[in-house]
Amino acid sequence: MQNSVLIGLSRQVALGRQLDVIANNIANLNTGAFKSDSALFEAYLSPTAQANGPSGQNNRLDFVRDRATWVDWHQGPLQQTGNPLDVAIEGKGFFAVQTANGERYTRNGSLQINAQGQLVTSAGDPVLGENGPIVFQKTDRGVTISKDGTISVRTAGSNQEAARGHLRIVSFQNVNQLQKDGNSYYAAPKNVTPDPDKTSTIAQGALEKSNVSAVLEMTHMIQVTRSYTETAAMIAKQSDLQSTAIDKLAAVPA
Amino acid sequence: MRALNTAATGMMAQELNVQVISNNIANMRTTGYKRQRAEFQDLLYEHVNRVGTQTSSQGTILPAGIELGSGVKTVGTPRLFTQGDLTQTGNNYDLAIRGQGFFKILLPDGRTAYTRDGSFQLDAQGRLVTAQGNVVQPGITIPSTATSVSINSQGQVSVTLPGSTTQSQVGQIALTNFLNKAGLESIGDNMYLETPASGTAQDGTPAADGFGDLQQGYLEQANVQAVSEISSLISAQRAYEMNAKVITAADQMLSATANLSR
Repeated sequence: MQNSVLIGLSRQVALGRQLDVIANNIANLNTGAFKSDSALFEAYLSPTAQANGPSGQNNRLDFVRDRATWVDWHQGPLQQTGNPLDVAIEGKGFFAVQTANGERYTRNGSLQINAQGQLVTSAGDPVLGENGPIVFQKTDRGVTISKDGTISVRTAGSNQEAARGHLRIVSFQNVNQLQKDGNSYYAAPKNVTPDPDKTSTIAQGALEKSNVSAVLEMTHMIQVTRSYTETAAMIAKQSDLQSTAIDKLAAVPA
Repeated sequence: MRALNTAATGMMAQELNVQVISNNIANMRTTGYKRQRAEFQDLLYEHVNRVGTQTSSQGTILPAGIELGSGVKTVGTPRLFTQGDLTQTGNNYDLAIRGQGFFKILLPDGRTAYTRDGSFQLDAQGRLVTAQGNVVQPGITIPSTATSVSINSQGQVSVTLPGSTTQSQVGQIALTNFLNKAGLESIGDNMYLETPASGTAQDGTPAADGFGDLQQGYLEQANVQAVSEISSLISAQRAYEMNAKVITAADQMLSATANLSR
């Protein structure tokens, strides 16, 4: 009889975790290029319940276990900003970024130029080109980033276009191996190497928005709270049942 | 419950977002104002089950782990230095920069500030000053007898003196540029200061070496676009409300738990 309470508890723990995931998605509704997470649950068959079950049959007990969170990689909507250093990736690619903790990957293309003339992310880490960080000269103006990631500028004194590098766009065979690392960065596990990506196109003057669907998250949230309350009610009933049983069965006639 | 804190970070971020948007809208008609944008990034993740962990001795691995995010943070409010529209004013000392560059201004405390606001005037000594009376660098003095003043696109200031039919040059307006304009520090009064992030100031003349040219009798409007600000305001407000809903949901779940024990 304890089992129904424990199964209910396993459900509540899982739901609590699902709400955490939903809360993080909603908190990042306006985070550039954020990819939403979803929680995945699985049934966990309890072997001890099978061995010591009261009736021998029909004693399968399915506990809930949170199995994984998976990232929804679908493309976020592109917002036109008109800022030449805003770039969005259309496709499966990532920008490669050089951070203090090693190479990281991001799709958040709100880029800036730092005091050394390097192209950096909004966290200040250099964005990598095919040959290392991309560096601009002090007099460069009119930055153009083409669809394939080639960066060119107008140089001082002349109206000639000069190349300043080529953005390194990478993709992964199994994108689910990437880990979210905060700062809109993703980290690749040690044994995973990125492949150069030729299929993605770069859109200058646009930013990829978060792909969190607010309506979907809200409905999930309502679902979570409702099932949580229902499970709580079920646990309460079970506890009532037990206390009634104790009262009735253990009533000692005077 | 972690969701409570996560949603709180979301609410704080959206509050800041609305603050930035409201400042943009408040400065819609400020000469030379450059709009700001709040930039967000996700916070650290707790990796409950790491991706790629072995799940059996046969070498099967987890295809996806459990990653729990802890919310959102504001990483910066960079200013977007795109060109604003030019409007004609007819005022002789109104200057607009078409392209890159800043006017150099000497502050009363001796510091040098930079501005895109070219609504200049003359002070009692005939010097070219900003609306607050700070002297434009390099100093240009217009003779009190001058009958007409013209400033060409290269920044050369020429005047016509009584009894003379030709114009004589009295000064040259210089412009300054920075590698990372978003790294300038805003000090209000439409002015910016140099910082380590902006890179060192590079002086130059208008219409040369990548600097913009000057337009006399025009002012640069703010580069705030009403439509995009209002749509960002709506999305920020909705995001704020949704974060509040998450807090309510977490609260309901906690109260359901609390009511278990009777």
